[in-house]
Amino acid sequence: MFKHLFKMIWNKKKQNSLLIVEILLSFLVIFAVFSFALNSYNNYAKPMGFNYDHVWAISYNHTLETKNPDSVTLVYQTLLRDIQSLPLVVDAGYASSNIPFGSNHMSTGITTNGLYVDRVNNFFMDENYVNVMGVKMLSGRWYDKGDLASKTNIIVINKSLKDKLFGNTDAVGKFIGDKPENRKKVIGVIDDIKTDGDYQAPTYGLYNKQDTAAYIWMGRILVKVAPEANAAFEGQLYKLMAGRLKKSNIEIEHLDNKLTAYNKFTLVPLIILSIVAAFLIINVALGIFGVLWYNINKRRGEIGLRRAVGAPGSSVSAQLVYEAMILATLSLIIGAFFAVQFPLLNVFDLPASVYLFAMLFAVVFIYLLVLICSLYPGKQAAAIYPAVALHEE
Amino acid sequence: MIRLQNIEKVYRTNTIQTLALNSINLDIEKGEFLSVMGPSGCGKSTLLNIMGLLDVPSGGTINIDGQSTISFSDKELAKFRNQKLGFIFQSYHLINDLPVLDNVEVPLLYRNSTAKERKTLATAALEKVGLSNRMKHFPTQLSGGQRQRVAIARAIVGKPEVILADEPTGNLDSAMGNEIMDILLQLNRDDGTTIVMVTHDEFMAQKTHRLVRLFDGSQVQ
Ligand SMILES: Nc1ncnc2c1ncn2[C@@H]1O[C@H](COP(=O)(O)OP(=O)(O)OP(=O)(O)O)[C@@H](O)[C@H]1O
Ligand SMILES: [Mg+2]
Repeated sequence: MFKHLFKMIWNKKKQNSLLIVEILLSFLVIFAVFSFALNSYNNYAKPMGFNYDHVWAISYNHTLETKNPDSVTLVYQTLLRDIQSLPLVVDAGYASSNIPFGSNHMSTGITTNGLYVDRVNNFFMDENYVNVMGVKMLSGRWYDKGDLASKTNIIVINKSLKDKLFGNTDAVGKFIGDKPENRKKVIGVIDDIKTDGDYQAPTYGLYNKQDTAAYIWMGRILVKVAPEANAAFEGQLYKLMAGRLKKSNIEIEHLDNKLTAYNKFTLVPLIILSIVAAFLIINVALGIFGVLWYNINKRRGEIGLRRAVGAPGSSVSAQLVYEAMILATLSLIIGAFFAVQFPLLNVFDLPASVYLFAMLFAVVFIYLLVLICSLYPGKQAAAIYPAVALHEE
Repeated sequence: MIRLQNIEKVYRTNTIQTLALNSINLDIEKGEFLSVMGPSGCGKSTLLNIMGLLDVPSGGTINIDGQSTISFSDKELAKFRNQKLGFIFQSYHLINDLPVLDNVEVPLLYRNSTAKERKTLATAALEKVGLSNRMKHFPTQLSGGQRQRVAIARAIVGKPEVILADEPTGNLDSAMGNEIMDILLQLNRDDGTTIVMVTHDEFMAQKTHRLVRLFDGSQVQ
C-alpha cells in the first residue's frame, strides 16, 4: 500500500509541490524558533556564576580638578574605604564600566600559542571584586593589594577562555599573548559568569589588573550591601558620593533590576518570533487543511472507486492521512538537509546539540501538525457515499 | 446467485421525494448474463448499485450467493464487494495518476496479497483483455476502448463471481463497443462469471441471456 501511495504522490508531484514547500517553510521556521528557545533555555539552566542579590552599581565620572596623580589616588582610595566602612556595606570595589547586565561591552582579541581567540570580554576589576560579587576562583588566586603597585604583567582569565586556550590542563603559571608586549602570566582562573543575563551563554573573559591610574576612567563602584539596606541608605550613599566627586553624575542601580531589564533583550525577540511563528503555523495548518479538503473533493471519483472495489471507509481515511504523512516526510527530508547545515557550518556559534534537538522537536511538531490537519478531511472522505461519488463523473 | 425481493428505493431531498425503484423482484442465476434496459432516469443505475452493495435499499431484501447482506457492517460490505463483485462503469473510473498495471492492482490492495502476487494477477488480467503491451501507459494515453478494457481487467483481477457493468459501452463507438461486449461474453462463457449489464443498446442486449426492462422504477419485462 505504501508503495502504491508513494507512486501516486510522485506522479502528482506538481500538484503536491505547493504543499511540500508550505510544510518545508513551516519546518524551517519552527526549527529556528526551537533552536532559539532551546539555546536560551540551555543558557538559563547554566549557573549565573555570581550572586547579584544586594549588589549595587554606582556610576561616576571623573570630575576632580587636581591633576596631581597622588592626590587623585588618595581621593578615590579614601572614598572606597569610607564606603566600605558604612554599617550596611559588606564590601565594595572599583570596576570598569562593563559590569554585568549593563549595555557597555569592551572586547579584545588575543593570540596564544598561535591560536587566535576573538570577542574576549576585557574587564578591569580591583582586588575586592571576587569578594563583592561572590565569584569562585577555580585555581590560582585573585589580585591583592600588593599587585596594585607591582609592575609584573599578570592576568586572571575565566574558565571559558582557559578551556579554549589550555584545554583541561591548569593555566596558572602559563603565559597568554604571543607578542612580547601583550605577554602576561596567568595567576588565576575565575569561574564563568553570565554577564549578559540569564539567557545568554558566558563568553571568554580577561580580568586585567587595575592600577592606580585607572580610577579616573573605570567609572563604576560595585557595592555589596546587607539585606536591610533600603532607600534611606541609598540616599546616604548617594550623598557621600556626591560630596566627594563634586559635579559628577552619580547613579546607583541595583543589579537584580538590571538583570530583569537585560533579560528582555533576549525574551522580547523570542516572544515576537514565537508569535510570528504561531501565526505562520496557523496559516500553514489552514493551508494544509484546505488543500487536503480540496483534494478530497477533487478525488471523490477515486474514493468512490476504491470503496467499490473493496476499501472500507476506515481504509480510505487512513489512506488520506498516510498521503499527508508521506508529503510531510518529503518536506522534512528537504528541510533536514537545510537544517543540518547550521551545525555543520557552525552558523551563529550555537552548540550542535541545540540544533539537533531543535530539529527533532520540529520534525515531531510537523508530523503532529500534519496528522491533526489530515484527520478531519480523512474522516470526511470516509463518509463519502460510494454510489453518489461514482455517479458524479 | 443474486435474489432481490421487494426492493424499493426512495431518494429524499429537501423538496421532493423520488421513488427510484418500486417493488423489484429479481432472481439471477449463477452464470447468467442479464441485461437491464430502460429510459434515462428509470432507476437502472440505482438497481445496479443496490446489487453491488454500494447503496442500501429503502425496503426489501438482497441475497447474494446465499448470504443476506442487509445487516452487514461497512467493513463486511467492503470485504464482500472485494471478493465477490467486480464493477465496470460508463466513465471507466481509472486513477489517472497511476499506470495501467497499478490501476488493475487496486482491488488486490484491499486483500492480503504480496506485491508479486498482485503483479502476476494484474498482468494476467491485462493479457485477458489484450492490453499486455500497455501496462506502463497512463490512462490518459489510452483510447476510450482501451480504458474500458483496463477497467474490465481491474474488475476481473480478483476473480469475482459477479460482474456489474453500468453502460460499459455507453461512451464508445460501435466497433469498440463490440470489442468490449465480446470480452464480457467470453468471460461469461469461459469462466462462468455472472454478469449484470445496464445498456441502452438493443443490439448488445440481444446477445445476453435475458433482458429486464424498467420503466419509472418498476419492472415491466
Ligand atoms: N443521489 C440521488 N439523489 C436523489 N435522486 C437520485 C439520486 N440518484 C438518482 N436519483 C434519481 O433516481 C432516479 C433513477 O436514477 P438512475 O441514476 O438510477 O437512473 P438511470 O436509469 O441509471 O438513468 P441513466 O440511463 O440516465 O443513467 C432518477 O430520477 C434520479 O433523478
Ligand atoms: Mg445510469
